[in-house]
Amino acid sequence: MLIEIENLSVTFTAQGKPLRAVQEVSFAVAAKSAFGLVGESGSGKSTILRAICGLAPISGGSIRIAGETIRHDRAFSRQVQMVFQDPYASLHPRHSIDRTLSEPLAIHGLPLSESRIQQALTDVGLPANFRFRYPHQLSGGQRQRVAIARALMLEPKILLLDEPTSALDASVQAETLNLLSRLRAERGLTFLMVSHDLAVIDHMCDRILVMQHGRSVESLSRQALASGQMTTAYARSLFAASADRMLPP
Amino acid sequence: MSLLSVKNLRVSFDTETGRVDAVRGVSFSLGRERLGIVGESGSGKTMTGRALLRLIRPPGQIAADEMRFDGIDLLQASEKTMRSLRGPRISMVMQDPKYSLNPVMRVGAQLTEGLRLRDRLSKPAAYAKALEALIAVQIRDPERVMQAYPHELSGGMGQRVMIAMMLIPNPDLLIADEPTSALDVTVQAEVLKILDDLVRARGMGLIFISHDLRLVARFCDRVLVMYKGKIVEELAAKDLLQAKHPYTQGLLNCLPRIGGPRSMLPSLERDASWAG
Amino acid sequence: MSGLITWLRDPNPASRMQSRLGQSYLNWLRLRRNPLAMIGLCITLVLLFAALFAPLLAPHDPITQDLGRRLLPPLTAGNLLGTDDFGRDILSRILYGSRTTLYIVLLVILTAPVAGLIIGTVAGYFGGWTDIALMRLTDIFLAFPKLILALALVAVLGPGIENAVLAIALTAWPPYARVARAETLTVRSSDYIAAVKLQGAGPIRVIWGHIIPMCLPSVIIRVTLDMAGVILTAAGLGFLGLGVQPPLPEWGLMISAGRKYLFEQWWVATMPGLAIFIVSLGFNLLGDGLRDVLDPKSTSK
Repeated sequence: MLIEIENLSVTFTAQGKPLRAVQEVSFAVAAKSAFGLVGESGSGKSTILRAICGLAPISGGSIRIAGETIRHDRAFSRQVQMVFQDPYASLHPRHSIDRTLSEPLAIHGLPLSESRIQQALTDVGLPANFRFRYPHQLSGGQRQRVAIARALMLEPKILLLDEPTSALDASVQAETLNLLSRLRAERGLTFLMVSHDLAVIDHMCDRILVMQHGRSVESLSRQALASGQMTTAYARSLFAASADRMLPP
Repeated sequence: MSLLSVKNLRVSFDTETGRVDAVRGVSFSLGRERLGIVGESGSGKTMTGRALLRLIRPPGQIAADEMRFDGIDLLQASEKTMRSLRGPRISMVMQDPKYSLNPVMRVGAQLTEGLRLRDRLSKPAAYAKALEALIAVQIRDPERVMQAYPHELSGGMGQRVMIAMMLIPNPDLLIADEPTSALDVTVQAEVLKILDDLVRARGMGLIFISHDLRLVARFCDRVLVMYKGKIVEELAAKDLLQAKHPYTQGLLNCLPRIGGPRSMLPSLERDASWAG
Repeated sequence: MSGLITWLRDPNPASRMQSRLGQSYLNWLRLRRNPLAMIGLCITLVLLFAALFAPLLAPHDPITQDLGRRLLPPLTAGNLLGTDDFGRDILSRILYGSRTTLYIVLLVILTAPVAGLIIGTVAGYFGGWTDIALMRLTDIFLAFPKLILALALVAVLGPGIENAVLAIALTAWPPYARVARAETLTVRSSDYIAAVKLQGAGPIRVIWGHIIPMCLPSVIIRVTLDMAGVILTAAGLGFLGLGVQPPLPEWGLMISAGRKYLFEQWWVATMPGLAIFIVSLGFNLLGDGLRDVLDPKSTSK
């Protein structure tokens, strides 16, 4: 197993009171597979991703990647990268695409070459002449492509995807999901994906963990989800609310 | 006679980078029915909704051959007439309750403000009416919500308060702009149900603006599909799945489905002639 | 010309340079739509022009005295704005005085905002004890009345233009630190900062490369709005005899000298006063216009 999470708890302090965002969640993700976390807002699914990245305080349990407990150092950033939910908030508004994409190379002292940036843009399906544009000159889908390109600049093995398409239009969502699938196949990436949309999770992931109020509710295989074989009432209600996302009979 | 009729509505913006036409000749009429407007971002659906209330900020400009609501010419109406229409006759529910409720005022005060100032109700009468509105949107403990500040409410609760607030003056037309897209799927279903019941019970006209075709199909009587500021297709909601226009079909096909194949999703091939 | 404009407007610039210039051109177009800002810009340009070409523009030497022609009213032949109590041409002194004024303003805006920006962003980014320590220091400086603090400093260091600048800069940085800190707090938790941290960037890179560019617009706006205040403080120090020393022409000093004749020969104090008024107004109008252009919240769309 590439990612192993055991009894993970995350506790924030809000106005002096502890807020337990994630409580004793455990799961494991196999290398080169895609794992989905589903739940409603406040279920703690995004917090797990942020905890892996060191952006949320871990109060208990452990996170291991390739058998080793994670340390948030430079080597970690070449192993794990993240794509954020809102493409309007995840790109620096005053940096050109060129600057955004060359930043990770500069941080790690890697050679900055023109062709490297151009290749990165082509890989995510953007024309090379977008290089010197600014984020406000791009559409939401194009921004998300830039964010994906940025996450892949350091050639990580693991990509954390936090609702990568929920801010996008349906047609752009399809293109972005296709791009992610293609990149995963080409580069042997491991995905840990968060979404509230069961259809998106089903399309992308091999295993699914349903979460509610910071706890894990039920772990499902893709087959079990598609055939509606849930054992818990909550997972069933989520499934029922997504009835219009089913394959038409 | 129809409640609202719009002919050749245009909204354009003069910016540094040139003129942008957000809405390019939209015509429709509306009775006391539920009309859905769907389209992707940038299709002009939100601008269409705002233009009806003349809520387009400069440098935006509205032009139309006709824009008439219940016999009132919305293009010629004075700003004073428009103010008296917004709220009591035509209400609007926005996407995110976080930005539509005043964060430093208690919910109760916001709900009763209009009643007390506009309708000159006494304090207890306004309170009772606000409470009634909260019960109508199925809030379980309305007294607590009346005392709460907006940030103490969840997203679904906040959106219900918004709907309650918009429905208190009993408008003839409700414009709902993505009223549920900030909500979770299970909450979304509840809020839509409430909205639906209220619209039916009071016989209002409803314009439901959304990017979600499936939602609109389930919830409206008639659907306008917009693309780049124009209506490309108008059809009854029940026929949506049999849509003729390739754009509407493409929008429906590119959605992933539970249990669907893992192959690439069909992408939407845009044809320059659609925007014509 | 039209070729240059298409080059600037090219949505797909071919180099960093072209893309930057293109952005600046758009900002210029946006500024041009605001007539008040354009008036402000014109006043500022006239000030720059006057300071640059003072020796060519001034009809008389600003220092040579001519006691036979003292206290002449405005519109006298040869002395458009009249003369002062030593018979020096007021117009010439105002033109030369603009050099002093600009010199002071430039030195202050090169020091105070930079210091404030660094202190504010560091405090905001690290939070905790760093924040508390730096912000209390800021509060201490803010708690003193500006002019009194400047006076105390000049009294210790001795009068003179450089010491006046130092005193003004020391009293001017805290508001910038406040602005920068507030801006940093909103930016700090954004996704793009999280993204660059996740790429392994250290605090210096994050602050310098990612946070400061976001704080710059509000600080620049604040600077243009504060320039008027700087001119007035400098004039105040001059007025009290603690800034620029006579006989050098400086606007505050000129007002101070004209005070004695305020009722009979009003122009001696009024003309430099008007100069201060117009230049302050110019900077304020320009600052207001720049706010609309540079504010990151309004350019996001």
